[in-house]
Amino acid sequence: MAAKDSPLKQFEIIPYSKTEVGNYDISFTNSSLSMVITVVVITLFLTLTVNPRSLVPTRMQLISELMYNFIAQLLSDTVGDNGKKYFPFVFSIFMFVLIGNMVGMVPYQFTFTSHIIVTFALASVVFIGVTILGFVNHGIKFFTFFYIPGVPFYMHPLLIPIEVISYLSRPISLSVRLFANMLAGHTLLKVFAGFVVAMPFFTGALPLVFIVALTGLEILIAFLQAYVFAILTCLYINDAYHLH
Amino acid sequence: MVDEDKIKELKERIETAKSINTPPSQKKKESGAGFGFKISTEIIAALVVGVGIGLIVDKYLGTKPFGLIIFFIFGAIAGFLNVYRVMRRIEKQ
Repeated sequence: MAAKDSPLKQFEIIPYSKTEVGNYDISFTNSSLSMVITVVVITLFLTLTVNPRSLVPTRMQLISELMYNFIAQLLSDTVGDNGKKYFPFVFSIFMFVLIGNMVGMVPYQFTFTSHIIVTFALASVVFIGVTILGFVNHGIKFFTFFYIPGVPFYMHPLLIPIEVISYLSRPISLSVRLFANMLAGHTLLKVFAGFVVAMPFFTGALPLVFIVALTGLEILIAFLQAYVFAILTCLYINDAYHLH
Repeated sequence: MVDEDKIKELKERIETAKSINTPPSQKKKESGAGFGFKISTEIIAALVVGVGIGLIVDKYLGTKPFGLIIFFIFGAIAGFLNVYRVMRRIEKQ
């Protein structure tokens, strides 16, 4: 199979213009375009549907309100009353990941969440933000987060590094989960699409049926991963308030 | 007092109304693959951090192989700790 037909070709970054600042390549790529589309879709959808502010919501307004309620409920369930002020942050992240995944489901559209650097940047924002939040709330006492009470003192030299590693692994597990799910799903779709062409006679219809089912599953995963990203963000915010 | 009884009654009515109105939180059924994936990322992430710290320690303290060995083991234990916490969180729900 030629390289141009590879199922991984869809993840290729294509720069539209060459711009370099210093040694950094900041070209506008298909990934950037995809992100811009995502942000525009979110902004237009949320502002236009909620604009009439009707008491009896239209269908579209109902969708927006449903999303709002979903995250508001999530925050109040996991963080409690403290969570209210983090709503804009969690909602932005949730919508960006969700709509980004959905935009990626459109044929010929680039899926930016299938690149680990994008998801890792998102996870780093969450991780650094939550760490700062922990220090703001607890000051130097935040370090007791790594100290497990009720353990014999000679165990602490062992347990504290383990706790620190466990804490540092958060952004990695958060980003790898989202990125790998999207990468695997989209590659699988393309591989099965290859079977449709390669199989003889009309047996190609079989993988075609499978692709239809897989596309449905991918949309479910796209939603589920955005949900997981949001709920873990909430849990981490909660940890920054309640150390144990 | 009559008022207190009334308030109590009203409270009960509000509670029952609330319990009817709010649907029980839908539990998301997860596929086995999704579950396995979640667990494996936890272990891998902790191992990556452990090995990373080990390599950095070795580089700056010149304690080649020992930093890597020790922090690899720490990373593995941290991975299992992560898995344990995820499991406990799932069981709570």
